Amino acid sequence: MPNSLLTPELLRRLEQFQLLAARRAKSSARGERRSRARGQSVEFADHRNYVPGDDFRYLDWNLYGRLERLFLKLYEEERELPVRIFLDSSESMSFGEPRKFDFARQIAAAVGYVALCGFDRVSVIPFPDNKEEMAIRGALRSVRGKKSTMTFFQNITQLTAKGSANLNEALRRGALEARQAGVAVVLSDFLDPAGYESGLTALVGRGFQVNAVQILAPEELSPSTFGDLRLVDSETGTMQEVTFGRYRMSAYQQMVQNFCQKLREYCQGRGINFFMASSNTALEYLLLKQLRQSEVWG
Amino acid sequence: MNFLAPFAFLFALTIPVVIVFYLLKRKRVVKLVSSTLLWQKFLAETQASAPFQKLRRNWLLLLQILMLILAVLALTRPYFATKAKSSDLRVLILDASASMESTDVAPSRFEKAKEEALKWVDSLRPSDKMVVLQVAANTEVKQSETSEKAALRRAIMSCSAIDSPTRLAPALKMAESLVRDRGKESNPEIHLFSDGAVPDMSEFNNEALPLIYHRIGESGNNLGITALDVKANPEDASQRAVYVSVANFSTNTMESDLELLLDGRLVNTRPLKVAAGETSPQIFIASQDHDGVFTARLTAKDDLAADNEASIVSLLPHPVKILLVTRGNRFLERALRAAPNVQLNVVTDSTDDASEYDFVTLDDVVPTVWPKCNVLAIHVANTNWFDSVSQQDGPQIVDWRATHPVLRYVGFDNVQVAKSMSVKTPSWGISLVDSPQSPLIIAGDLGRQRILWIGFDTLESTWPYRISYPIFVANAVEWLNPATERNAQLLVHAGDPFRLPLQQPLTNNAQITLPDGTAHSIKVDPKANELVFGDTFREGVYRLKTGTNDTVFTVALLDAAESNIKPREELQFGKYNKVSATTLHRANMELWRSIAAVALLVLLFEWWYYHRRTV
Repeated sequence: MPNSLLTPELLRRLEQFQLLAARRAKSSARGERRSRARGQSVEFADHRNYVPGDDFRYLDWNLYGRLERLFLKLYEEERELPVRIFLDSSESMSFGEPRKFDFARQIAAAVGYVALCGFDRVSVIPFPDNKEEMAIRGALRSVRGKKSTMTFFQNITQLTAKGSANLNEALRRGALEARQAGVAVVLSDFLDPAGYESGLTALVGRGFQVNAVQILAPEELSPSTFGDLRLVDSETGTMQEVTFGRYRMSAYQQMVQNFCQKLREYCQGRGINFFMASSNTALEYLLLKQLRQSEVWG
Repeated sequence: MNFLAPFAFLFALTIPVVIVFYLLKRKRVVKLVSSTLLWQKFLAETQASAPFQKLRRNWLLLLQILMLILAVLALTRPYFATKAKSSDLRVLILDASASMESTDVAPSRFEKAKEEALKWVDSLRPSDKMVVLQVAANTEVKQSETSEKAALRRAIMSCSAIDSPTRLAPALKMAESLVRDRGKESNPEIHLFSDGAVPDMSEFNNEALPLIYHRIGESGNNLGITALDVKANPEDASQRAVYVSVANFSTNTMESDLELLLDGRLVNTRPLKVAAGETSPQIFIASQDHDGVFTARLTAKDDLAADNEASIVSLLPHPVKILLVTRGNRFLERALRAAPNVQLNVVTDSTDDASEYDFVTLDDVVPTVWPKCNVLAIHVANTNWFDSVSQQDGPQIVDWRATHPVLRYVGFDNVQVAKSMSVKTPSWGISLVDSPQSPLIIAGDLGRQRILWIGFDTLESTWPYRISYPIFVANAVEWLNPATERNAQLLVHAGDPFRLPLQQPLTNNAQITLPDGTAHSIKVDPKANELVFGDTFREGVYRLKTGTNDTVFTVALLDAAESNIKPREELQFGKYNKVSATTLHRANMELWRSIAAVALLVLLFEWWYYHRRTV
């Protein structure tokens, strides 16, 4: 299965995984996930009194033989798990070597592939809105089944990073739009002046099991440009004057650590799985080790 | 702390300029980044949206202000007024004598003195004035009164030490005359930079000289030749006896070889061991077949090299030709004949100027023609010798000058004189023997004529019966012999002028070759009857060529006071007055150099810090 995002070897290994959901699936569509709904499956759930009109096929004849009363056997209904991938496609993601957006797309593809293999519904939601990519984005709204993988990858590959994002707004809207909660994966650099708190809170509040992956470029972690600089923000155009030298590097790195730590603590306080990755991190390490250890999938 | 240039504080106005520079925005390189969020969080302090920014604690600014403060402080030339009072006029006297060439302080005492003197020049306030005198055999005004430091420095740098003794008195007199007219408030000072090896200065006993004595030198390790003479060997007239006196002025016994050279050829070597403070007289006997120069040389290394070698010209003795004009005096005739190497001619009258004789003895005879050569006149007087001549009877001899060469080993005890001429001591001579009324014997030089005058007839006294009489005559022969005087003139003390009487006027310039081999031409006035050469600052052998005549003369230190190079803690002015070596520091200890050095360090540190910040 040729694609530029993931290697066949990686795909082969990802096929073995299944997204782990801590909560029961709430989707209305049938799938392969346990849910609170009662329906047809092989997993016994409960008994209830027979009321006229019930299907005789589910009567528990053994119980009737002992108690001479009619009970109905209830089975767990297996439903699908909606997986929503929030992909930050703002201008700031197009920076870095390798680009943060490329790295984010790879993770999105991997998560989507694992979900599709598990017969879960995948929604990729790039933000901010881009009218030029309406068709692609529409196609990515709801993807199901392993057969859609090829199209899924192609569509992701065609996405571009452009414009100014509002992370909070995008996450809140995503939470509201979702008919059923499921697994949410947020792929962003979280460098939004407005913050990220209300967006993440909205997802958690809606019942999503949230996984946040912060992607930063190596240049952002340890800058290599020194001297008297005037920095221009790619999204907002804000200017920032800076005099930077090697002697301030450790202080800068400490500040980045503090910023990430604050985000991590915020996530941990709300049961969100948090990962921080530099865009030059080995993809296999993040996917096969970190996400697995954190029981995003298993 | 005071300031020599307080107006330099105006330079402090540059400090706000630096601060303004920091208030202004810097030109920056524009760079597009993904997000400025992280930078905003981290670098809020460098944000500048207005032309001026809030002043923050910035090490570069602090360093630059510190450097400026230091620079301004240096420009104000602060100084510590030490014990020394400020003075409007300082007379610097640099001792440039031979002892200052001692090397007990590197490179030499004189260089050290110059260094010290330069420091005092540096500490001069703009209004203060200074005079620089260099003193050795002569006093030289190197720089007259000025406040121009460059000129003073130049003057001090141009000073150089010579191989001569110190004659401090003229310099002190000159300095005193310079400071005398200054008011008390101007507080003039005389600074003497010397090792204190100076002769007695009793004449300044009652002078309240504002003298500050800067002692230069640390130790006095010196073995030197203090006397040198050459004579005919008393035991064998065909040989020469060289007398050398070697003195040890150090505190340890010193050993050395004493070499004797004749015209540069080694004649004799003698090992010497001289105890501390002792003088060792040495006599060398050497045969000599031509006129030459004897050189005595000490081989040991000591602190002063100038007195380790001394040379003397030795001329072969010629017979002394004496004309005795007498009516008959056996005592005198015998005494004259007894003197060594004498050719005596006895006559009753002299009818010409006797120019072929070395000297003429007039024994109570008035000659027809007065001789032009040296004269021993007994009871006879030329009319132009004395103002008036009278007679006195039975003069008593009360005093005689035993230090004069003529009266060496001569006493006048038990000498009675029947009558004598009575004269006043003339300006050309000195009285050797005195009676209460008048001098009885006078010696002196009248023009080029050397005269020894005895006012009484020796035959009318008991003197010829005394042992002192033949000794006196022998001394007189020696003293009146022109060769003796000529020989004496060929040994010059360093710094003294060499005088050569000219028999006939010189048409060409004279040529002189100095001890170091350099030759100079001396301009001589054709009318002059004497050639004077004053540049005798280095010891050694000088060769003078005047027309067809060659004259060799030597210059030597031969001064025990100068050879005693032990630095004196105090200078004695007579019996009660003395000046101790000062511990005084320069009046104005200027600090600007140190401050400027620190400012430079701060500048370097600031430069390093800036580059460390941005690279």
